Amino acid sequence: MSNTGNTLKIHTFTCAWCGLTVTRNAADDSVRNHCPSCLHSRHVTDHVEGGPSDCEGRMTPIAIAVLRTGDWMLVHRCVRCDELTSNPVCADDNQLMLMRMAVRPLAQPPFPLEALGSL
Amino acid sequence: MPRRTRPRDDAQRRQRHKEVLHAGGGHRGNDFRCVGCRLTVSVVAPGTAHRNHCPNCLASLHVDRRIPGDRDAACRGRMEAVAIFARPDGEWMIVHQCRSCGELSTNRIAGDDSVVALMRLALKPLQDTERASRTLLAL
Repeated sequence: MSNTGNTLKIHTFTCAWCGLTVTRNAADDSVRNHCPSCLHSRHVTDHVEGGPSDCEGRMTPIAIAVLRTGDWMLVHRCVRCDELTSNPVCADDNQLMLMRMAVRPLAQPPFPLEALGSL
Repeated sequence: MPRRTRPRDDAQRRQRHKEVLHAGGGHRGNDFRCVGCRLTVSVVAPGTAHRNHCPNCLASLHVDRRIPGDRDAACRGRMEAVAIFARPDGEWMIVHQCRSCGELSTNRIAGDDSVVALMRLALKPLQDTERASRTLLAL
């Protein structure tokens, strides 16, 4: 295989929210789809049919889901078409943003937390 | 409730048609049975117009595709609650993921959902103390 310029090109994308230029490949050899700084993503793959999506909307991080293995998944929702996706978090993602999202429901509980003490 | 594990072969006699009570929302017209804990759940719930999950174990069934109640999905897999998120107005939503096809969906919590089950789900990310201490060190 001839070594053209394309094989050496570093794949990057620009974050749709904060404008950070992000490399597609994370440090631990995984493919990154969200910005490590603000965790926003872009709706480019269609998860129902597979393949590319023509929505291209911005996807905001909404929740942290925990797998049985204990790994964290980041749940995104497209602001344009309300599609939901989940992706594993990368090692260099902003830990503060992740933890902020994990504890956000606890800041606004729908029931008084004092009731749990009487259980 | 008996569960059919293998498809019905044609040699088997089909069930005779009977006038049943559940026609027109009678018996079992307004409730469903939870796939997780077999609790009979009424679809009429305080605080939500679209109850789709069991108040006891928060499990749901993959029957709707985009609009609640459209019954458009052919999957029928079990949907497990994987995460809680708070909407900007403070409403808690449950994120369900289908165990058989991986589809995600969100639903508002109902007034009679189990407080313990909701708190367990909301506290799940914080069970890993190693990650929390790493975040504190990063500050």
